Formats: sequence, structure tokens, C-alpha cells
Amino acid sequence: MTWEAGAILRSVEKSITQERLDDYAEASGDFNPIHLDHEFAAGTRFGRTIAHGMLVAASVSEMMTSSFGLDWHRSGRMKLRFKAPVFPGDTATAFGEVKAVSDAESDREVVCTVGVRRQNGEEAISGEARVTVRRES
Amino acid sequence: MPMTVDYSTLAVGQEVSNRLILVDADTVTKYVGAVDDATALPGGTGEAKAPPMAVAALGLRGVLEDMGIPSGAVHAGQELQLSGPVDVGASLRCRATVARNSVRRGSRFVDIAMSIWSEEGREVMSGTTTLIMPEEAG
Repeated sequence: MTWEAGAILRSVEKSITQERLDDYAEASGDFNPIHLDHEFAAGTRFGRTIAHGMLVAASVSEMMTSSFGLDWHRSGRMKLRFKAPVFPGDTATAFGEVKAVSDAESDREVVCTVGVRRQNGEEAISGEARVTVRRES
Repeated sequence: MPMTVDYSTLAVGQEVSNRLILVDADTVTKYVGAVDDATALPGGTGEAKAPPMAVAALGLRGVLEDMGIPSGAVHAGQELQLSGPVDVGASLRCRATVARNSVRRGSRFVDIAMSIWSEEGREVMSGTTTLIMPEEAG
């Protein structure tokens, strides 16, 4: 695959449910009640439970793996800002666009604008991802 | 045992976690199921690889436990640098230190820098987690 500025990465869409938050807590060990306890979460500024940031961010890494394969595992860099909460019942879509491509002798660095949007278009996560792509891949 | 932490006293450079983590198949399977990662475990001819975010989550798990992160803390940002695939079944060491501890607009921001190494001494991942502590946590 040849990457050029302006190329759109294949998006990754996830349904966020309370069951998924519960499963993620078990898998990650993050039992912060803001994600799990409706009564506790009702008393926070969010008013209800919110998805773990790393659960939502996982879809960005999934998108990068889908696009760049093991090059992402070897050389991926990402910087994400969690701007808005994602709630159970939301559909979260990871998106990305190639912003720049620079060539080195044997590799190519691809810089992407990435993020996650809620179903209403609000950006829950925004950031940048970089990956060094081997020429032969 | 989790530390009882007065977050206002955390000093930059202070080690807050240093643990062995096992990226075993059961843990990865549970993680992949929870996040519904369609790209997980690209096996091919080699060993199955763990999703990078599974490794990051396992690293963070130790940090959360060791620091006793308070209820209501919010994850505000995440940086990650990946340095190589991690085989399912790998044993890794994760060390975490305080990278920043400051108060902005009345909220305490704590950055935790994490570095994850293979048994052979190769760094496989590093990153920084930004947490906003709830007010009562100091």
C-alpha cells in the first residue's frame, strides 16, 4: 500500500454498552466506579457512567493495526487527548487521515490525524499517530 | 498492597510502580473480547501478537493498583510509543514514575510515565498517562 497525504484510513466503529464497560474493567483491572457504578457516576460532573478512555482509544490502535499491520506494533507513536466522555449507548467511530508522508532511505514515516467521534459528531478523542512503514510492506 | 497516596506530595521522578506483567493468552482473550478488536492476534507463521493497547492496559493495571488511584479520577490523555510486537505469553516488566504533578484551574493533573521491557531487556513500549484527580484527593 502506498500512503499519500489526504488518504483516509478505514474507520472502526464500536457500540459502547455498559456490559462492554464491565467486561473491560474485568480485563484491564480498572474498576473506577465512574465507569461501573451508576449511583456514584450520577454524582459526578458527567451524571452517568462513562467509558474507560483506554477502551475507546483501543479502537484508534485497532484502526492503525488494520492499516499498517505489524509496522504499527514496531514503530507506532500516538498522542491522544480525551476531550469528551463516551457513554453507554453511544456509537464511537475511530477515524484517521494521512497528514504527511516523509521518505527516508529504506523507510517511510506516515503521520496521521486520528480521533474518535460519537454518533452526534462530537470528538471524544483527538490526536496524532505516526508510524514508520517499511518500503517492502 | 496499594499505597495510601497524598497526591500533592508526589515528586517528579518518583517511582510509583514496578511490576512483572504476564501477557498470557487468557488475559489477552478477555481483553480482545472486551474491546472487540478485529485485528487482534495476527498469528500467521509466527507467534500470536498481543494488541498494543492490551499491553498498555496491563501496564496501567499495575499503576492503578499500586497508586490506589481514587474513585472519580479521569483519564485525560495518553501518549504511547511502540517499539516492537509483544508475543502472547511474554513476561514483561513495567516501571512507572511521576512525570508531572501540577494544579491547573483548580484541578490536579498527574502525568505518569510508563516504560515496559521484555525479559531480554528490550523496551517494547513507553508512554505517558495524564490523570485528573478528583478534588477531594488533594
